[in-house]
Amino acid sequence: MLVYFLFPKKWQQYKWTVLLAASYVFYLWAGVQYVGFILFTTLSTFLDALWMDKVTRSSKDYLRVHKAELSREDKKKYKERVKRKKKLILALALVLNFGILAFLKYAKVLFLGGTGDLLLVLGISFYTFQSMGYLIDVYRDTVPAQRNFFKLALFVSFFPQIVQGPIGIYSSLAEQLYTPHDFDYDRFTDGFLLILWGLFKKMAIADHAYIAINAVTEHYQAYGGTTLLFTVLLYAFQLYMDFSGGIDISRGVARIFGIDLMENFRRPYFSKDISEYWRRWHISLGNWFKNYLFYPLAMSDAFLNVSKKIKKSKFGSTAAGSHIAKVLPTSFASFIVFFMVGIWHGANWKYVAFGVYNGGIIMLAVLLKPVFDGTLKRLHINRDSAPYTVFRIIRTFMLVLVGYVFDVAPTFNEAMMTFRLIFTDQNFKVGYGEISELGLNELTMLYLAACVVFIFIISVIQERHSDTTIRAMLSKKPTIVRWGVVYIGIMAILVFGVYGSGFNAADFVYAQF
Amino acid sequence: MEKVLEILEELRPDVDFESETSLVDGGVLDSFDIVALVGELNDEFDIEIKPSDLVPANFNSAQAISALVEKLMDE
Repeated sequence: MLVYFLFPKKWQQYKWTVLLAASYVFYLWAGVQYVGFILFTTLSTFLDALWMDKVTRSSKDYLRVHKAELSREDKKKYKERVKRKKKLILALALVLNFGILAFLKYAKVLFLGGTGDLLLVLGISFYTFQSMGYLIDVYRDTVPAQRNFFKLALFVSFFPQIVQGPIGIYSSLAEQLYTPHDFDYDRFTDGFLLILWGLFKKMAIADHAYIAINAVTEHYQAYGGTTLLFTVLLYAFQLYMDFSGGIDISRGVARIFGIDLMENFRRPYFSKDISEYWRRWHISLGNWFKNYLFYPLAMSDAFLNVSKKIKKSKFGSTAAGSHIAKVLPTSFASFIVFFMVGIWHGANWKYVAFGVYNGGIIMLAVLLKPVFDGTLKRLHINRDSAPYTVFRIIRTFMLVLVGYVFDVAPTFNEAMMTFRLIFTDQNFKVGYGEISELGLNELTMLYLAACVVFIFIISVIQERHSDTTIRAMLSKKPTIVRWGVVYIGIMAILVFGVYGSGFNAADFVYAQF
Repeated sequence: MEKVLEILEELRPDVDFESETSLVDGGVLDSFDIVALVGELNDEFDIEIKPSDLVPANFNSAQAISALVEKLMDE
């Protein structure tokens, strides 16, 4: 950080090289054996983008020079040909890079027998998504191809986000990385507070909960329904704290350097339906799939034609038919997206089930929307009333919990067992006995319960003031209050944080994807 | 412009499209609405809206949408 801010004024335009060096130091420090993978992705992305760029330019030149001689039809044909060529060039890089990702994730299960990844390359999902997003943008001609290999290398490897995102978009992130930023005290405190907040969520909350969850998953078959239900609830809290805490740390570090990474979470558990949940949870991944998979699929000729065909049919002239014509192809596209999100998590049937489950719910919700709306009308329920909104939030949270069961349970069969036990085997006394043996004492349990309440209150405040941040609100308070918060924050992390040998605070749940 | 408004109103009768200026950023139109809208616009004006046209700035208001349609009709 010192090197970055003390970088000679004379060489301002090379300030970004400090970030690149820091990123590679970080990456090499995490494991020398991974570096070949990220270099391959960077190089193939770099060359592929330049190639597409060259095709685009030469075709534009050709059209300009031959403007007079070509008829409208000829131009259209020529453009089609260019597009096909670019598509092939794009496909080459996509197949190569997603191929590596898929190979590492599936080879062990498919060819060698066994479970888990072949090799866990640090951040491979995140940098692959980010680079391929850039390539598709170059293909669409919405961003120019980067001509400096090292600048692209920084975009692919920027250290705060390499481990678990957020997945950056070239048009909003790249320029920020290359522009030299001066030290700014307000930005520094803002970033610092964000890092503290992230550390607190990660080390003083999530890591405690992890101990109990880990104890259950190690002997999964030994526990009854009450404990399993407790575990899934705890997991919902732990995953959110771990993942959003990690993202806060990333965003805080980047913020100190003057770089704004996108938000990745917006109080997801307050969502009123599952599709809203997916717009508020892991936002950068959702955006990626929306822009680069969902829209191209849903807007492809094949999908739009199905819609047209249904509309023209006899069925399409009925009210239900016109609704189905409108949403069936689109909801099928979203189903495919969730299926892909599911299998991206790993080579395991439980992730397939997770994808099918989420995609299925959204598909049904959209297809049956008129039925639901009609039922509400008949029951005289006002959709926007407060009690109904609370009902929707709780219902959505429960649907999310069902999805988490696939995450917590080691296998698909054990996930099914979990559902059965949660509904048939509730015994408070047995559960209490089991839960107290999970490695957390009563005081820690009380502390975690207090954290749930605390986070809930903070979330409600954030929800009410969604146009600003709590940090910005704090910065307007007197100095003593601000320093008090910093002091309490640091103390809380030191006192309540989980440390000790064998416990690596840098292990994030999502880093493994 | 009028035809665009007509299509929009048929798609979502509950929204006041003449005054709304953050249809996408404000979350008024979701991705399903956008896809349905693209299908209608493509048919009506014989254009091809591509995924790369789907930036919020092109869909935030009825005005912006008709501007996009006009641009694509010229191509």
